[in-house]
Parts: sequence; C-alpha cells; structure tokens
Amino acid sequence: MRKRKVGIVQQIFVHGFLILASIVTATPFFWMISTSFKTPQEIYTIPPKFIPSEITLKNYVDLFKGVNFGRPLLNTIIIALIAPPLSILLNSMAGYAFSKFRFKGRELLMLLILGTMMIPGQMTLIPAYLVVRFLNMLNTYRGIIIPGLVGAGSIFFWRQFIKGIPDEIIESAKIDGANELLIYFKIILPLSTPFLVTSFVFAFIGAWNAFLWPLIVATDERMYTLPVAVSIIAGQYGENIGTILAGSTLVVLPILIVFLIAQKYVIRGIAMTGLKF
Amino acid sequence: MRNTLWEVFLFVGPSLLLLLIFTVLPVITSLFLSITDFNAYSFMDWSRTNIVWFQNFIEVLHDDLFWKSVFNTIYAFLLAYPTTIFFSLLFAFLLNRKETYFKNFFRLLIYLPSVTSTIAVAVVWSWILNPKYGLLNWFLSFFGVPRQEWLSDTKWAMFAVVALVVWKAIGPNMLLFIAGLQGIPEELYEAAEIDGANRWQQFFYITLPGLKPILLFVSVMLGIGYLQLFEEPYMLTGGGPLNSTLSIVLYLYQKGFRAFEFGYASSVAFILFLMIFGLTYIQMKLRIYQE
Amino acid sequence: MRKTLILILGLLLVLTSLSSSQVKTIKMWAMGEEAKNLGIMAEKFEKETGIKVEVQALPWTAAFSKILTGIAGRQLPDMAMMGTTWMAPFSAMGAFEELNKYMSKSNIVKPDKFFPASWETVVYGGNIYGIPWYVDVRVMYYRTDMLKEVGYDKAPATWDELYDAIKKLSQKYGVGKCGLGLSPTEAANFLPFVWQNGGDIIDRNKNILVKNPEFIEALEFYSRFYRENLVAKGGANVFVDFESGLLPVFFSGPWMISMIKEQVPKITGKWAIALMPKKKSRTSFVGGSNWVIFTTSKNKDSAWKFIEFMSRPENQLEWYKILRSLPAVKETWKNKELSEDPFTKVFGEQLSDAKSTPIIPEWDKIETALGRRVEEVCLGKKDVKETVELLYEDLRKILKK
Repeated sequence: MRKRKVGIVQQIFVHGFLILASIVTATPFFWMISTSFKTPQEIYTIPPKFIPSEITLKNYVDLFKGVNFGRPLLNTIIIALIAPPLSILLNSMAGYAFSKFRFKGRELLMLLILGTMMIPGQMTLIPAYLVVRFLNMLNTYRGIIIPGLVGAGSIFFWRQFIKGIPDEIIESAKIDGANELLIYFKIILPLSTPFLVTSFVFAFIGAWNAFLWPLIVATDERMYTLPVAVSIIAGQYGENIGTILAGSTLVVLPILIVFLIAQKYVIRGIAMTGLKF
Repeated sequence: MRNTLWEVFLFVGPSLLLLLIFTVLPVITSLFLSITDFNAYSFMDWSRTNIVWFQNFIEVLHDDLFWKSVFNTIYAFLLAYPTTIFFSLLFAFLLNRKETYFKNFFRLLIYLPSVTSTIAVAVVWSWILNPKYGLLNWFLSFFGVPRQEWLSDTKWAMFAVVALVVWKAIGPNMLLFIAGLQGIPEELYEAAEIDGANRWQQFFYITLPGLKPILLFVSVMLGIGYLQLFEEPYMLTGGGPLNSTLSIVLYLYQKGFRAFEFGYASSVAFILFLMIFGLTYIQMKLRIYQE
Repeated sequence: MRKTLILILGLLLVLTSLSSSQVKTIKMWAMGEEAKNLGIMAEKFEKETGIKVEVQALPWTAAFSKILTGIAGRQLPDMAMMGTTWMAPFSAMGAFEELNKYMSKSNIVKPDKFFPASWETVVYGGNIYGIPWYVDVRVMYYRTDMLKEVGYDKAPATWDELYDAIKKLSQKYGVGKCGLGLSPTEAANFLPFVWQNGGDIIDRNKNILVKNPEFIEALEFYSRFYRENLVAKGGANVFVDFESGLLPVFFSGPWMISMIKEQVPKITGKWAIALMPKKKSRTSFVGGSNWVIFTTSKNKDSAWKFIEFMSRPENQLEWYKILRSLPAVKETWKNKELSEDPFTKVFGEQLSDAKSTPIIPEWDKIETALGRRVEEVCLGKKDVKETVELLYEDLRKILKK
C-alpha cells in the first residue's frame, strides 16, 4: 500500500468539493423522492420544500390502485436478469477478439460496427420493429431482449478494457497449450471483475429502465414492463405529478440496491484479484 | 501468429449475426430511405415511394433550419465534450485517492442523476433555472449578477441544455474512469516511487498512459452521443426559443415523426452519420490514444 | 428453478389461450386515464351485446410512436381512441377505416348530433374517418378578485376590454409583475385570435390567408402584449403564477379546472372561467378525442357497435361523470348535471363557437412554420409586415402553391 502524507488543507478542500458536487448532482433525485410524499398543494409551492410539511402516502396508494404491478414487475425481473449476463458474454467475447486477436480487417470492422451507433435510434426504430415482426418475435421476451443484447458500444467497451491486460499473460498461456476459449474463461474473465461489475450495472439499468422498445414490441398489456405500466398513469397534460414521481421512485429503488451491492463487489473483486495483471 | 477463421467466427460470429439482423439491417434501411420520398402516404402502401436520388440532400443543404441545427449541435458539442471529460476525470481521481473518505457514498451520490427519472429531472431543472424562484438566479444574485431568463433567452438556453447534458453524463463516465484507474497495476507506482518519481511524473508516465484505452472509449462514445443530442433539448426547451436549441436529431425527429417526411429525415441522418463517422475516425487515429 | 419458471410460463400460455376461445372480442388502444377507466364502459357494453372489449393502455408520451410503428407493421388492434390533432396524419396514411357506410345505416351516429367543430376533426378529404368521443375547448381563466380591483366585475368580453384590463392590472401591480398568459409557438393559442377577427391561416381550398388584414390585425394585437411588456414572464408554473397574481388571465382547456382546485386551493372562489374575448366572434380552439377503426381490423362491425354505444347520450353522460370529459354529443348537454355546473356550462356555451385546425396532412408543417414566425414577432426579432411575408413564403413552399 502506498501511503503518502497529505496536508489537512488539501483534505478539507477535496472533501468540501466532493460534498458540494454530490449535493448538486443528487438534488433532483431527492426532490423526486420527497415530492412523491407530498400533497398536491405542496408540489407546486415555490420555493419548493424538500421535506414535506405533511407526509402523505396518497400518491403511492393511487399508484397501486391505478396500475397492476404483478405482471409488469415479473416481466421486468425476467428481462433484467436474463439480458445482462447474455449481453456481457456476447459483447466481451467479441471485445476480446477485437482487442487481442490478430485477423485481417480487425480495425476496419470495429469502426464499421461503431458506425451502427451513428444513426439516431429514432430512425432505426421502425425498421427494427419490422425485423422483429418478420421473425415472429412480437409480444415475446425474446423480442424484447434479443435485439438489444449486442451493442457496438459494449463491444467497444470490452475491447478497450481488455487492451489493458498485458499480451504476455495470453502468450504464455498459449505456449502452455491453452486455446482461446480457455484463455477467455480462465484468464480474461477473472481479470475483468471490476469491468464485469461495471458493465453489469449498466446493462441491468438499461434492461430495467427499458421503456419505448418493450412498449412497441408488446401487443397486449401482459408483456408490459414496469416503466411502461408506471408511465400509463401520466396524463396528457401532466397532471398528478406526485403519482408519477411515486412510480419513478418505485422503479428506481431496485436499481439503487443493485448498484450498492455491485459497488461492494467491485471492491471485493479488486481485493481478490489484486489486479496483478 | 494469426488467429484461425474458426476462432474469429466463434468469438465474433454470434455478436456480428445479432448486430447484422437487428442493427445493421435497420441502419441500412434508414440510410436507403434518404434517396426516396418516403412520407405519410408510403406507410400503408410502400409502392407509393419513389427513388428521388439526391433531391432530399439538395433540399437539406438549402434548408436554413438544418444549418441552424448543425451550428447548434456543434456549439453544444464544443461546450459539453471537454467539460464532461474534465469533471468525470476529476471526480474519478478524487474518488480513487487513497486518502479520500466516504468514497462509496460520494460515488453513489454523483451517480444518482443517471437513475433519476426523466420527468423528475425535467421538473427540477426547470425549477433550478426558473428566473424568479430558481436556485441559480438566487445563487448568482449574491455576486451581483442580474436575473437571467435561462430558458427563454436565446443567449442562455443552450448553456442550460448543455449543463443538463453534462450533469447527466458525469456519473457513468466517472465510474468508467474509476474502473480504468483501478486497472492500473499498483506495482507500477511502487516501482516508480522507488525510482524517485514525484507525483506529477507518476501521473504523466503511469496514470495517463494506463488510462488511454478507457479515455479513447469515453471520448468516442461521448462524441457519438453528443452529436446526437436529443433528449435534453426535447424535454427542457423543445428546441426553442427561436430554435436556438434545435439540435440535428431534434430537427430530424420533427421532420420524421411529426411531419412524416422520413425520406428527408433520413438524409439529415445520413449527413449526421458522416459527421460522427469523421469525428470517430479522427479520434481512433489520434496518437494521444495509441499505446 | 428454470423448470418451474418454464412451467409457470407454460401455464400462463394455456390459460390465456383458453380464455380467448369462442367469445367475440374487440381489441382497443386507449391512452392514460381514459384507458384505465374504460373498463366500466366495456363491462356495460359486454352485458348488452356479449362482445368483450380488451383495452390495451398506452402511455400518452409514447402513444404516437406506438401507433406509427403499429401502422408500419400492420400490427393494430380493431379500434383506438385518437387525439383530434392526430387524425390528419394517420388518415393520410390510410390507417383508418372510412365510416360513411356505417353511418348511413345508423340512427345513433349522425353528423348533426355532434358539435360542428368537433365533427370537423373526423372529416378528412370529404370522408369520415372517426366519430367524436369527447371534446376539449379552450376558454378564458381569470382571477375575479384582481379584475374587480381594476373595475371589471365580469370577465373582459372584447379584445379592447382584454387589453384595457391587462394594461390596468400591469399599471396597478407594476410593469412585468402581471400579464396575460400567451404561448406563441402553439397554434391552439394564437389562431383563435385570427378566427375571432374573422380570418384564418388557410381556407378550405388551401389558399393562404396570412396577408389578409384580419390575420395581420390579429398578429398585431397578439404581439402588442409582448411589445408593451404585458405578458406574464419568468413565472414558475401556471398554478403558482395564477395564485400569486403574476398570471391573472390565461387560456386553457377543461382539464385545468380540477388541477387548479387541487394544486392551489387557496384561491378557490377567487377565479372563474369565461368565454373567449370578442372581436367579430368569440371563436375558440376545439380538440379532444375521437374513435377510429383501423382498416386492418377483422371485427369492424363489432367495433362500430362499440362506437354507437359510446355515442348514446346516456353513455356520454356516464363518461362525463367518470372523468369529467366534455361530451361531444349535443343532446347530453341538456342534462342538468352539465347545464347547471358553473364551469361546464361555460364550456358548453363556448363549444357553439369553436373551431379546429384544418385536418390536412400538411398541418404539422404549417403549425411549425406558424409557431416559428409568431415567436419571432413576439420576441421582437421581426416586425409584423416582414413576418407575414416570410410566413406566406413558408406556407407557399409547404402547400406547393
């Protein structure tokens, strides 16, 4: 462990700055939670009250009255549990190949794959929907999960991280007779724990919050996900903002739990591997 | 030694196949539409679509609103891109210091914007920026700054949009940088210390080179994302006032999803594609990112 | 674990296939609050006809994209509720069934049973593509107490009175502290002034009318509030500003009533609604929702039965009681529940002098151009004369005249 003497002034400055920054960044989040417990009269008071003078559960009661959460919750859990591992496996394998394999046209192919991200999603939404319909995957978990599994960004993510793993480790394993699959599972994946967790958090949040695509693929309400079900209570003119934010809070809480657990894992993962590349 | 085709196929094949079916195909379709007059009438009856070759492009290049949106997008990019990288890196360094306390707590708080619901974000930001009751004007009044109309003043609206963009982007990019910093082997620093390198030398000869791959990743993704600026102006200003926050994607969204001129919108998308591709290509070729 | 999951999923599949056996079912898309409450009407309808109604709720925020992709992929339910402003684009696509033939056989659904302005929203290119369900019409919301202070015991009834009242309020409370609520980029906010002056933006034959004196005068009047700083600027939101007095007068639809009552109960009794101000007429903007049947439907007759069911005055009344949406069928308004309600009554009166924006495929582009130019005048970037010329050119390009 490196230990350095750090001046008290520097410590105060750094921590003061971090406290200020985290207040600035976290404000809307806490406002969302506090508003979900406000009465309608207090929501629009100016300047806003961060702690409601009268805490009400009405918004949550309305929410549970208006939305049937059972099935959407089940759908979201299924999707958010199936999609991330599959997506990490596919993307990291490809990322490994793009980072360490030697084959003709590697860089060009990577650039072309990145090219798929350069057309705004608004333009590809309808064609992608037509593809899914053609494959008879409308209104199925497959139709919601599979199209989003592989992303150019994720492949690129893995390529860049695996680049940090020294070639020598791989070369020596090859000399010992290991094939690429073995190297991938025995060396690359274990060495990638922090990135694995980071990408799991991103993929989980993505799957958990997915809104437009699940809605468009669903041809009846049984395939609705949690964000879709919650958004239905939002009216055309944005009434009952308290209920909407209560819904948002409910959707977000599981993500926070996952994030907190994942944070622990990052640290444990680092401690375990010691990151001795 | 080159890898065999079989190995390449095993590792890249499945991803490539899915990408081809669900992403490349739609992208090509969308690009193809740019040489057609695909519009409202084409939806139920595709035979009513005609190939018009470069007609859309010619119209786009003569469209003053398009050029306005290009200018706005580049302006926003120039403001947001360096700011995001600077702050994400700064927070990553501060939260990766051995001597910083409550790291997990700060990391969580700074990450919160990315999990806050869009509607909460929109409402809180318009409150923060509210001229009369907003936090920002209240804060600035202590420095003698007169009351500004952040969202309805053409001078300021884009700054407001960019502030929201940066605020949302810092959390995830900070996490990536932290992961990147943690990926730099501790031994390198120990060895450097033994060799008598000071902190700045360690920073320039170990930290920065070690961060290069992830720095490239973040820069490329930010470039791709920021030139496709859409959600923030869509929810904060709707492109106004006087189209001062109209971004390219917001413009093509209006053309496509509101006026159903998908042919026209596709040619805007194609031009945007070329812009982003150029930027990405330059970034991938830049020496500062190479090992 | 996995086996149980597969078992559960399999069971669900079997159950769903069983339940949808012989009973006739129509599938429907509806949005938000309406979708959640349609079940009550669906139950009643099923009891009456034996036809089951399956409502798929769509969130307002994404309904447009959902409908558009549905049309592109021909994956549509039998019918849907459709915002009036969405009628033109989707009618142009040919997504809606033409209803003329059903109409001729029906004695419940007849054009003259609906408000004319509302009926206009279902006619596209001379054919009928929808049936009105409920209407939204904009009226004037005003603070009775504040207007009384400047000598108005009633709402300003004419353009001159409106200007005078706002001017006096601004003198009393300070320039910039008080003003009219306007929204230049929104056609539904600006166009009523043109209509009140006997003008329009285009006529039935798509002739451009923006160079006519009626249009110019309306734009002059509208932008004058901006030029003289008589517009509520820098407020927080409608509710807070209405309560604080920054925004003593604004124009909005029926949804505002319950929201004001809920959000700012402190000013209860200090506000009211009134008809739009008069120049040559008191014309307002009408919106709302219609019923449509998709061309791809295989249950068109059943879907039509549901439309007829919803158009019956007693069912229109029942729906009014559920969500307070204003009935589109005139006869329903004879009912005491509506005619004696102090708020609803005003909307009813306004409905007899209301218009919708033209149902033509180019409308969205026209609205965008109009919003851009009106905003430019209001913010002082261009003068009225120049703007009218520019707008004329915009429209000429859009309409290819």
